[in-house]
Amino acid sequence: MPRELGPSLNERQFFLQALKEEVRIDSRGFGDFRAIQLDFGDEYGVSDVRIGKTRVLTNITAEVTTPFPDRPFDGPFTITTSLSAMASPSFSGPPSETEVLLARLLEKTLRRSGALDTESLCLIAGRAVFSIRADVHVLSHDGNLTDAACLGVVAALRHFRRGDSEVKGEDVKVFTMAEREGVALSLLHYPLCVTFSFYEGEVVLVDATLSEEQMREGSCTIGMNKHGEVCQIAKLGGAPVDAVILLSCSNLALRHVERMSKVMEERLLEDAKRRYKGGIKAEPSSENARVP
Amino acid sequence: MPLDTSSYSLALLRLDGRRWNELRRITAQISTMPSADGSSYLEMGNTKVLCTVTGPCEGGGTRDRDRADIRVELAIAGFSGVDRKRVGRGDKRVSEMVSTIQSTFASTLFTNLYPQSTIHISLHVLSQDGSLLAALLNASTLALIDAGIPMRDYITASTAGSTSSYSSNDESADPLLDLNTSEEQELPFLTVATLGGSDQVSVLVMETRVQAGRLEGMLAVGVDGCKQVREILDDVVREHGKEVLKSGRL
Repeated sequence: MPRELGPSLNERQFFLQALKEEVRIDSRGFGDFRAIQLDFGDEYGVSDVRIGKTRVLTNITAEVTTPFPDRPFDGPFTITTSLSAMASPSFSGPPSETEVLLARLLEKTLRRSGALDTESLCLIAGRAVFSIRADVHVLSHDGNLTDAACLGVVAALRHFRRGDSEVKGEDVKVFTMAEREGVALSLLHYPLCVTFSFYEGEVVLVDATLSEEQMREGSCTIGMNKHGEVCQIAKLGGAPVDAVILLSCSNLALRHVERMSKVMEERLLEDAKRRYKGGIKAEPSSENARVP
Repeated sequence: MPLDTSSYSLALLRLDGRRWNELRRITAQISTMPSADGSSYLEMGNTKVLCTVTGPCEGGGTRDRDRADIRVELAIAGFSGVDRKRVGRGDKRVSEMVSTIQSTFASTLFTNLYPQSTIHISLHVLSQDGSLLAALLNASTLALIDAGIPMRDYITASTAGSTSSYSSNDESADPLLDLNTSEEQELPFLTVATLGGSDQVSVLVMETRVQAGRLEGMLAVGVDGCKQVREILDDVVREHGKEVLKSGRL
């Protein structure tokens, strides 16, 4: 496995000196995100998030399975992350610490906070439930994977439609999209992550690029929803930071989460408009589309 | 399994009879293993943790040539919890705790004094009753002090919770200090570790949903708890020093 190459001493010195003069290498403000671009695929449940040069693709799938015996009413919801060598050569080989921590952070933010109503996935108690699986693929890694991945999964979950189902006695029939309109998942709230990077004990940067991440002394990821509920905080070691700074980070996180939620809302609406074919009026048409 | 904590508001006493700002009994011993370079045994209530430190020994420096590597191993005994469960090494929760401990001490120890060497921290959980990560961090601090590895200051940790559940918006909610398992399952809580009883937070982990407004109170109580824990750990170290002097083992 090739080692991840860090910045050179010159780069490091230049970066830290610039920070002292309150300048970031890409001339952003300390509390600013890079441009966020959110796209959806042709199929339901595919989202493509770009934050600067970081790009994360998320795909949601559903299938009918038997539930776990200790939770007969809950549909399993799993999040898997794959950091392939495509994103960075150092990702080849067994799952790295970055990957494990990313998977765990997503799990804590989305699953433990109860974002997806898993009981709504139940078809027959103890027999058949929908199991939802989110596959997160990192296509390009330029820092801040957590925020991008979290936004991607939430957006994809909101975009996803599972096949409508019908239960007759013991039989479960799942309709295809052609037969019936899909059913949106029931999400209780939309948690998003904001990651803060700390330098020299005082400086706090939002949305660090890869080289900024390599030079940071500590980081803290805060998961929040737009209602001001903190779903998860993870400052896993690193340089100590004053408690007051961490509290101000949570206030800043709320601002960013509100903004990201708005972007997500707008893009979902645009996508819904694009897919809307005119509803019931469009159906009974005698015109042949192939004849101009 | 939800547990009835509604009785708290009647007498302001928790399930185990503590007030909101009381720690459980913390007892610790250091130099418990003669074979290791440093070792400690720590009890926080019914959470019991054993820690041994080996090193700094030769080899390592794979991450950074000028610094010592810190390797952490965490074994959670199958009998430590309520139901007997094997927790494997590949468990994400375990590897998260391992990387937290590793990263915390990487920035607290003077690893630059030991280039191309490794410090092994090996932790064994004998009994779990809440505040596990906090107990692990405290035990590691004691063992590292026993091993004589230079560090900036004590890393001390504790947990803090809030009596309100995440959904309710009641104003009368009290923050709580040092939660046990039944409280951890029921209430929102966070684990906080500070450097040397200051307000410098080096670990802050929260996994449950809570109103942002409650965070300040919880964090303040947690940081205050860390200060109390530091006093207790400091007493243990000084007591041990006195004993060593008296027995003339130096």
